[in-house]
Amino acid sequence: MPVGDYIANYIAKRINDFAPTAEKLFVLGLPTGSSPIPTYQRLIKLYKEGKVSFKHVVTFNMDEYVGLPSEHPESYHTFMFREFFSHIDIPPSQVNILDGNAPDLIGECNAYESRIKQYGGIELFLAGIGEDGHIAFNEPGSSLASRTRIKTLAYDTILANARFFNGDVSAVPRMALTVGVATVLEAREVVVVVTGLRKSLALSQAIEGGVNHLWTLSALQLHPWALIVVDEDATAELHVKTVKYFKSIERVQEEVERTQRALAEHAASGELRIGEAVAVGLGGEAAAAGLAGGME
Amino acid sequence: MPVATTKEPSNGLLCFTNCLLPQEDGSLIEKDLWIDEHRGIILDAQRTFYLRKQRPHRVVDLGGNILSPGFIDIQINGAFGFDFSVYEGDEKYRNGLKRVAERVVETGVTAIVPTIITQEKSLYAKILRLLRPWSPPNAAHLLGWHVEGPFLHMTKRGAHSPPLIIPASEGYKTFEAIYQPENLADAEDWLMRDGVSQETVGARIITAAPEIEGVMEAILEVSKKGICFNIGHSVCSTDTATAAVQNGARCITHLFNAMPQLHHRDPSIIGLLGSSPYLVARPANLPSFTSKAKSRTGTSTPLKAVSPGPYASEAFDDIRSPPQTPMGRDYHSRNPSEVLSSSSTVPTTPSESRFSGGSEGMPFSPFERPFYELIVDGVHSHPNSVRLAYSAHPEGCILITDAMKILDPHLKDGIHEWRDGRRFYKDGDRLYLEGTTTLAGSVVTMDKCVQNFSRFTGCSLAEAVKCATLNPAKCLGIENKKGSLRSGAHADLVVLDRRGEVLSTWVMGKMVWERN
Repeated sequence: MPVGDYIANYIAKRINDFAPTAEKLFVLGLPTGSSPIPTYQRLIKLYKEGKVSFKHVVTFNMDEYVGLPSEHPESYHTFMFREFFSHIDIPPSQVNILDGNAPDLIGECNAYESRIKQYGGIELFLAGIGEDGHIAFNEPGSSLASRTRIKTLAYDTILANARFFNGDVSAVPRMALTVGVATVLEAREVVVVVTGLRKSLALSQAIEGGVNHLWTLSALQLHPWALIVVDEDATAELHVKTVKYFKSIERVQEEVERTQRALAEHAASGELRIGEAVAVGLGGEAAAAGLAGGME
Repeated sequence: MPVATTKEPSNGLLCFTNCLLPQEDGSLIEKDLWIDEHRGIILDAQRTFYLRKQRPHRVVDLGGNILSPGFIDIQINGAFGFDFSVYEGDEKYRNGLKRVAERVVETGVTAIVPTIITQEKSLYAKILRLLRPWSPPNAAHLLGWHVEGPFLHMTKRGAHSPPLIIPASEGYKTFEAIYQPENLADAEDWLMRDGVSQETVGARIITAAPEIEGVMEAILEVSKKGICFNIGHSVCSTDTATAAVQNGARCITHLFNAMPQLHHRDPSIIGLLGSSPYLVARPANLPSFTSKAKSRTGTSTPLKAVSPGPYASEAFDDIRSPPQTPMGRDYHSRNPSEVLSSSSTVPTTPSESRFSGGSEGMPFSPFERPFYELIVDGVHSHPNSVRLAYSAHPEGCILITDAMKILDPHLKDGIHEWRDGRRFYKDGDRLYLEGTTTLAGSVVTMDKCVQNFSRFTGCSLAEAVKCATLNPAKCLGIENKKGSLRSGAHADLVVLDRRGEVLSTWVMGKMVWERN
């Protein structure tokens, strides 16, 4: 199953299991970039088929450029509207994106953090990573205790993004507002999409290396409930034994879930969740899986 | 058409989904379109979502069909039994206008510029007053008027009555004397206004022959007032036509018809489609240019006034007056600032620097080719001619019906009344004067023109649609309000299937016609 389908199915299942209402909203953190696009496409399809609704979902986006007009084709406002929000039933008042044109940027960041808290924290944060292992715009060297703030983009990121600005490096904004590493880690669940060979080094550093602010994704090792969904290419730099280990977790997870379902049917108490620092589901057409298991 | 409405009370916003939108570059992309039904305008969906914090409660699923701006017909003489050139009292005229506006929507047209042929002078005062912009309910917009004549060349008069054709001896003053000054007031207000109302001036297009005395001087004045000057019913040379464009002429009336045919030595008006942006360097010095153009016409291109049959149409004329070979003109002998390369060497890499050293150090402004109208019924212009013109200058192409009052997609073939006791014979898309083989105008509908155009030229349907929407709107300078899907534009829309058949028509956000 393709990675995007796998994650979208998982998120839809999480929303439906949560059974959100007007009083009990599901708070979802969202990324931009090319990695999550297949996920958004699949979520739109699920919405159109009536399998999920975003009526009672609140979203918080990870980041936005500073000084780029929100209607600019490369702004994250534009991206989110074009790729996701325009196609689903989310009420506009429940959409939150950092305002990179706010007169008081620090005030904007602080208000964003408190808005997240007002909603009771983020239930699930979906994320992607950069080739340098950055999560949101938390470039290498970012504090792992960082919160929403103004961030200077790394030169690599500016170069990588120049392709979205007609190859003109000078047109790429130099600054962004971004949620911090700690903001992401505070979410009750973190799901990360990692696809393609070019992300493989970052993946290995994040999982097999130590917790290190040069690969900010590695902070996820401290999170009690995280899921990384990868394709075959992204595993290229991992040790064979690491890949085998996570594949075995996946099988065990499925077994545990089956047992839990049976128990739940008996006792109507399915509270037990399996905690594991990192689970790697192998995507690609062959087999995708993760902690959730048993999709579709 | 499936309409999904959420449970919330309507917020007046409507989302068209599952549809293909023609883009201004001629492509077609799958995208939603949001409109405000109450204000009748197209919305910037993203701004509406993030700033107004609203999303449409009403969603219309178009089943994968094409959602295009409504067609604009800038040359239509009448339709559904009403002739814009016939005045029989105010009320009857208004009712006629209303009938055309109400019924033409089934052909995908949401805006028209009623066109009148040369009239008795006294009638202009009566008719033009009634042709001010008007939007009857549930009908196409009437955008103002297009007058053809009376300043036309006698040999290319088509169906215009010879005794009424006159020169503009006093230039623009004669224009005012004929059309009445109050009908030619500045049009700036018209463009700035949000809606169209009865008070606004209706002057949109004037077709005249630039070689006729006084016309060349009047062009500048006409275009300054925001009125589109069309070159038509003319025998002028390429030089004169070029000068007319430099003076502000924006469009060519029914290209190929009522004008000399393409001759390689002097391609006449049609030749404008081949103009290089760089060959014509200097803006014309108006008075001298005019006299020069006139004298040239007089000496090098003798105008043999062929006398056509009493009511011959353009196409008929053209058969009777084959292209004449004008005297060769020696471009080498001319001022090098006027002609930048010899006729034998075309500049392959034109650059600004080539022209920066022009005489008097005048800033160089590239020559812009005019728009041109095409009747794409397969009769008034051969499909190959249509393709030739479009290949030469795709951005200038405007489809028109040039339809006569007999236009009605439901009308049977056979004999029908015209006016003054004359009668038509309708044979499919062809319309003849009774008892002759003289073409008497067209009965093709705009949706058919769009389909034909796509077949004749091999262009995509979206590219064909552009020639019936964005291009005419640009010609009139109203593309922010009509003929586009820009935010803030009027929600005048037509839903087409992939073959170009009209499925439904919307005016100001309301559906006014739907195929059963």
